[in-house]
Amino acid sequence: MSESPIDVLDGYRLDAQLSNGELWLRYFELGGMSTGLELEAFLLGFLQPTIHDHDVIAHALNERFFEMGGNHPVPYLEDTERV
Amino acid sequence: MTDIGADRGFRLEASFLGFEAVLALHGEVDMSSASELRERLDWAIDQGHRFVVLDVGDLDFMDGSGLRVIGSAANRLLLSGGALTIRSPSPFFRRLLDIVRIGDLVRVERPIAATDDADTATDHRLPVKAVSAASTGLSGFLKRVAAVPSDDDVVNSALRLVVALAQATVGGADGVSISLRRHGVLATVAASDQTIMAMDAGQYETGEGPCVDASVQGRRFYADVLNTEARWPAFTPKALALGISSILSSPLEAGTTSIGALNIYSRTPAAFAVRDQHLASLFAREASVILSDARADVTDQEFDDRMGQALRTRELISQAQGVIMHRDGIGEDLAYTRLRRMSLEGGRLLRERAQEVVDAARHRADAADLLRELDHE
Repeated sequence: MSESPIDVLDGYRLDAQLSNGELWLRYFELGGMSTGLELEAFLLGFLQPTIHDHDVIAHALNERFFEMGGNHPVPYLEDTERV
Repeated sequence: MTDIGADRGFRLEASFLGFEAVLALHGEVDMSSASELRERLDWAIDQGHRFVVLDVGDLDFMDGSGLRVIGSAANRLLLSGGALTIRSPSPFFRRLLDIVRIGDLVRVERPIAATDDADTATDHRLPVKAVSAASTGLSGFLKRVAAVPSDDDVVNSALRLVVALAQATVGGADGVSISLRRHGVLATVAASDQTIMAMDAGQYETGEGPCVDASVQGRRFYADVLNTEARWPAFTPKALALGISSILSSPLEAGTTSIGALNIYSRTPAAFAVRDQHLASLFAREASVILSDARADVTDQEFDDRMGQALRTRELISQAQGVIMHRDGIGEDLAYTRLRRMSLEGGRLLRERAQEVVDAARHRADAADLLRELDHE
């Protein structure tokens, strides 16, 4: 999982102006299967998400940045592998 | 054994033995069949079956309204010292129960012949069997998951403080409580003493009383002289027996939804003057704010709408994933990644791209059907 420290995600969440609950709902909407508490633990680095879970969170954040007129700055982990 | 047919292939078989009722569900539980499920469950519980087993092994689909029914039945049974057991849930169903925090309220029983094969991670996204939840409820459970986390202890302390302040400030108040409706069931979340707890419980049991009415109707109910009170014939004698002579219940509200009541009890008849009634409303508003904050300021309706939308999108994405998995012969995670890349490259949201994929697949399927029909002719 290379050098991407997971709590970077929480920084993106703050930039995206999303509460934990709001991000969870978006993550859940995109197919995420972890609870709100687990998501928070991922964001803060207390739990390690699977690559897939990480990328669903990343995409939820990126869609939010996209809605705000921005690019999609959050990197995906899966992109470094096959596909 | 009864067999009840319904729309969209929902079927329910019930069998009863002593305290136990077993309801086997077949087909799909959606909003319309959920009400039937609720009626059957309520009926079974009303008949004294305190241990209810829901066999979901043959269930194809359950939406949010069905999950809500399960949650509220589980709550009812727990309150009456019984339990709800979910028999033979798929791994996805079990996970969903946990996500929406119903998992804590039910027992899960695996089928006798179950093997662990069913637990492989891949089956939970198969579109046909996917369990999704829609719009009618779940709020209590899901809100706890989705809400900005609030410390339950902080909330409880704040509510106890409101109770203590109301008792000290409202003239004539001998006891105060706060009732909150969770999953359709009223429960006391703060009370000044055991007598007051019993007063609340008396109203929940009989399903009547100022607390119940204020919670349901969202307006203030004042029973000024219980001796001559005729509105609540089952509950009033219980109150009188405990020495209570007047009760003032003010509604708690989250947004436009009534979520409970602040109840003030007195041993004195006609204890509450107009000023006291206004004070009671102020305290009720205070409690509402505390509870609303704990619920992240989302009303049931708003939350249900958002959740319903989220679940519809999930299902759509899951279907698109299924299409790509089938088309490209790949696993679900990879299919998800491809779908995500397609959406990024096209500058579209994932749900929009998923919709296109599903629509295109439908068109292809329609075209294939048409070709087959033409072949037959």
